[in-house]
Amino acid sequence: MGDDIWVENIDIQWSVETLSLAAFDLRWPLSVREARLLQEAPWVRPGGRFHWGISTEGWRFPTVTFDARGAADEAQAHKTVSDDATAPPARPLRRTRPMPAPETVLLKDRLLYLLQPPLENLFAGRQVRVPCRPFPYQLQGIAFLMPRHAALLADEMGLGKTVQTILSLRLLFHAGLVHRALIICPKPLVLNWCRELQSWASDLPFEVISGDTEARRRGWLVSNCPLKVVNYEVVTRDAALVEADQVQFDIVILDEAQRIKNRDSKTAQVVRSIRRSRSWALTGTPIENSPDDLVNIFAFIDPGRIPPDTPTKLLPRYTSDAILRRTKDDVLDDMPPKIVKDALLELTHAQRDSYEMAEKEGVIRLNELGDTITVQHVFELVMRLKQICNFDPATGESAKLERLVADLEEIVASGRKAIVFSQWIQPLERLARELAAFGVVEFHGKIPSSERPGILERFQNDPTIHVILMSYGTGSVGLNLQFANYVFLFDRWWNPAVEDQAINRAHRIGQREPVIVTRFVTQGTIENRIAEVLDTKRQLFDEVLAQNGVPPRLGLNEEEIFGLFDIPNRPKRAA
Amino acid sequence: MLQTSKPLHLGFLTVLHESSGYLGGYLVTNTWGRPVEFRLTTTVQPNRVQQVLYGPTLLSFVQGELIGKILVEKSATPVDLIVTERLPVLELRRHVSVPVVWATREQPPIPESYCLVAAAESLRPALYLSSRQRDDLERVREVLAQVDETFDLLEPFGRIREAIAEARKQGVTARG
Repeated sequence: MGDDIWVENIDIQWSVETLSLAAFDLRWPLSVREARLLQEAPWVRPGGRFHWGISTEGWRFPTVTFDARGAADEAQAHKTVSDDATAPPARPLRRTRPMPAPETVLLKDRLLYLLQPPLENLFAGRQVRVPCRPFPYQLQGIAFLMPRHAALLADEMGLGKTVQTILSLRLLFHAGLVHRALIICPKPLVLNWCRELQSWASDLPFEVISGDTEARRRGWLVSNCPLKVVNYEVVTRDAALVEADQVQFDIVILDEAQRIKNRDSKTAQVVRSIRRSRSWALTGTPIENSPDDLVNIFAFIDPGRIPPDTPTKLLPRYTSDAILRRTKDDVLDDMPPKIVKDALLELTHAQRDSYEMAEKEGVIRLNELGDTITVQHVFELVMRLKQICNFDPATGESAKLERLVADLEEIVASGRKAIVFSQWIQPLERLARELAAFGVVEFHGKIPSSERPGILERFQNDPTIHVILMSYGTGSVGLNLQFANYVFLFDRWWNPAVEDQAINRAHRIGQREPVIVTRFVTQGTIENRIAEVLDTKRQLFDEVLAQNGVPPRLGLNEEEIFGLFDIPNRPKRAA
Repeated sequence: MLQTSKPLHLGFLTVLHESSGYLGGYLVTNTWGRPVEFRLTTTVQPNRVQQVLYGPTLLSFVQGELIGKILVEKSATPVDLIVTERLPVLELRRHVSVPVVWATREQPPIPESYCLVAAAESLRPALYLSSRQRDDLERVREVLAQVDETFDLLEPFGRIREAIAEARKQGVTARG
């Protein structure tokens, strides 16, 4: 047997089948229910929202409506910020910015003031050209004025209220917050305002409302000039025009606002009737005679702010937010001093004789009047005696003139200039003749307005002119005479505030030398007695605007005028 | 070249980080700093997921893209240059057509990713661009040449902070 091997063929077949996996290739159709289940715990743990929620709120601010670029370019071509003596020394830029006033309620308005650039930057830059850098306290004044709709700038005379006001106004125009403005000032100061506007706001067009009826009508009703300047007399005369519907301003500024201290005067009524959004008042003497002066000024600034019959001691509560007052002592550490001295003079023999006779006769006459005597009778005698103290009517002798000549010789020899004030024109004219050798010009009520700017320029620039003779009424406000170092009060005014105004023509911004003020007082006369009363009152003047002080009366009242003489009979009302 | 006939405007954009989140303020001024427009945002507080997902890009996203972009886009006044005091806001440049510069008075070590536009001077801070935006250099310098030299480009941010504080007093930033 051998090994038999059987071989059988076995048919083995492999079949390979491929299946696709739905999870990778196919969308997984989810039912709504399944989808919801997948998003619920424990499958999905919430991690927080992915959406960024943000929204914004914004404010656009007004833009300037007059084209200031041309004028600004011109100003840029001609003016640069100077470092002359009137400019404060260069120092690192501080940040003085207008802040919203308490009465500013709307957020947009508050933001507008908060977002204003620092004033230092503005005036140091090339966009707001100024002839010299304002002092820091002036910037604070601008920051005070700008946001306020009701403001009283009561800085002492000579600190530059005009400049602060012009720059504030200019910035308000630039910010588009003011489009139409009116400045009302005393007639003699219109030219001064024009000069200062050209100097400090050369990009701000302005016009003076003056001339005949038709010209004034155009000024009030037709002209689109953004800034108008007018004097009190014209405003009062044009009361009917002022009431027209189209006469309205974004701001009305009263210079020497004590002009409306008499609430019932026509001037005050017309000024208060002008339609306006902002009311600013400027005065160095907001209280000349009584606290009512201040109340009446506020009747313009913010009618209704001071409740009727408010006691004097409560006035600061209602007014302090709207008043800014600085004195030279407060702000100008480096300003030259003002030295005030009384020159006590003996009348000449002739003057003494005339004086004693006039006083004796005058007092006898007053006493003869009995109960019919009035303060006017006393006043006439005072004036008569004061005139004799200036010049003897019979001989023309004058102790004051002798002293003045002696002083002027020295002043003129040193090349200095002096201002002489009197309350009357007649003695000024006499002085002009007597002092002609010193180089004299006159500036008083008899001098036509058109000639006055030329006279001031001559006094400033003509080296042969050393003396200007001024009346208190014409020369005591608004003029810049800081190139004069000597002031003589040839006779005294009734009110120390007016005397201060006069003195501060010389003692003001830009003065480089001490200012010597000489007040002539003749001994043993009515002048002596008045001076004693006024000096007492002057000591109280600092309290005028003190927060809790009681503002005093500054001029002589009826009782005090009667008290100048020994008069037993007086009207009952003065008793 | 810049159009010199139209007035130039600058945008100052900052982002404050407070406990309630990030808050943007944007002040548009003319070339001497006078305000033309002001805008602010509500606060944005990134949550944990957003912080994780955005990682190191969170700040530039929130400050530049989210807050910066919406402030610029919503503003009605087109600007010629945007200045920021926050470095992450430079990211904004990728989303707007206006150059964005970072202003700083400090002298930190500046990475290569930033290029100097103008060195610090007495009143002006140093200005930097993102290096990716180096092409903006000439354009930025043209704008700066027209800006008043006394205009301290960091000063407006103080104003923005005061304005935001004022707005907060009246509840504006809490709206939205």
